[in-house]
Amino acid sequence: MERTSVKIVVAGGFGTGKTTLVGSVSEIPPLTTEEVLTEASVGVDDTTGIESKTHTTVALDFGRITISPDVVLYLFGTPGQDRFWFIWDELAQGAVGAIVLVDTRRLESSFPAVDYFERRGVPFVAAVNRFFGECAYTEDEIRSALELTPEVPLVWCDARDRNSSKLALIALVQHALGRLSPARV
Amino acid sequence: MPFDVWDGEDESAAGRFVPLYVLVNGRTSPRDSRLDLATQVVALSVDTRLLDPEYLRIVERCGNWISVAEIGAYLQLPLTIAKVMVDVLVEQGYLGVGTPAQQKIVDRHILDSVLAGLERL
Repeated sequence: MERTSVKIVVAGGFGTGKTTLVGSVSEIPPLTTEEVLTEASVGVDDTTGIESKTHTTVALDFGRITISPDVVLYLFGTPGQDRFWFIWDELAQGAVGAIVLVDTRRLESSFPAVDYFERRGVPFVAAVNRFFGECAYTEDEIRSALELTPEVPLVWCDARDRNSSKLALIALVQHALGRLSPARV
Repeated sequence: MPFDVWDGEDESAAGRFVPLYVLVNGRTSPRDSRLDLATQVVALSVDTRLLDPEYLRIVERCGNWISVAEIGAYLQLPLTIAKVMVDVLVEQGYLGVGTPAQQKIVDRHILDSVLAGLERL
């Protein structure tokens, strides 16, 4: 059946504006879906010694953009907590690539995302969110702090602004296209 | 210590309690590996009278193409449960499946159309 789904991951540290970006370009208000995890842990009550299980709920925010009658693009924000890597794996698998949002007040909060996509060879662009006001750093300073390789595009964006978010997405798709070998049918 | 005896009453003020795994016969992952949270499905025109209400709710949401993630969000089902229930419905012929996000995006045509679509926004 001809109905193709395409994914883009929107990553970055806590509070970098992932859901804001998804919401500014999505054709529907961002939806939230939850994954319930069971974490086996040893009970703290020594008298029982019984292992207890706790449930953790991980929320994923996402939006959609209908590209054509048979292609829909889904934008998935990564969970706020960095430790749920297997969810990142599910999001990244088959994705066009990722936008890593960067908050210049807390550059380090975007390190895990940069590292994740770098290691897995997933195309990504770093998008510096101007939402937080004037940026005290130059592009070179940010690149060097995030240890971005030269081919990774860095764009400036305002995640609240539809056009700005759209340009970040376009930069990512162009980057992903550029990584395809040209000798293809 | 008193024994807890089930009095045969499933309904309570808080609603009906059924552990979610009961709905999916203990299945923990979809058999159809194409099912991804972005994969879209659509209801096929078949008789749904024999479906359990929990499944019927899903089929009724699929009048138009909709992704597994959207089904989870609208029906407030955890993703894993939504995925497995959709899998059961696909297997039983109630839902048709679209093309999932590919294992590796190598299709230039798709990327070109995504790019064109974004530029039109």
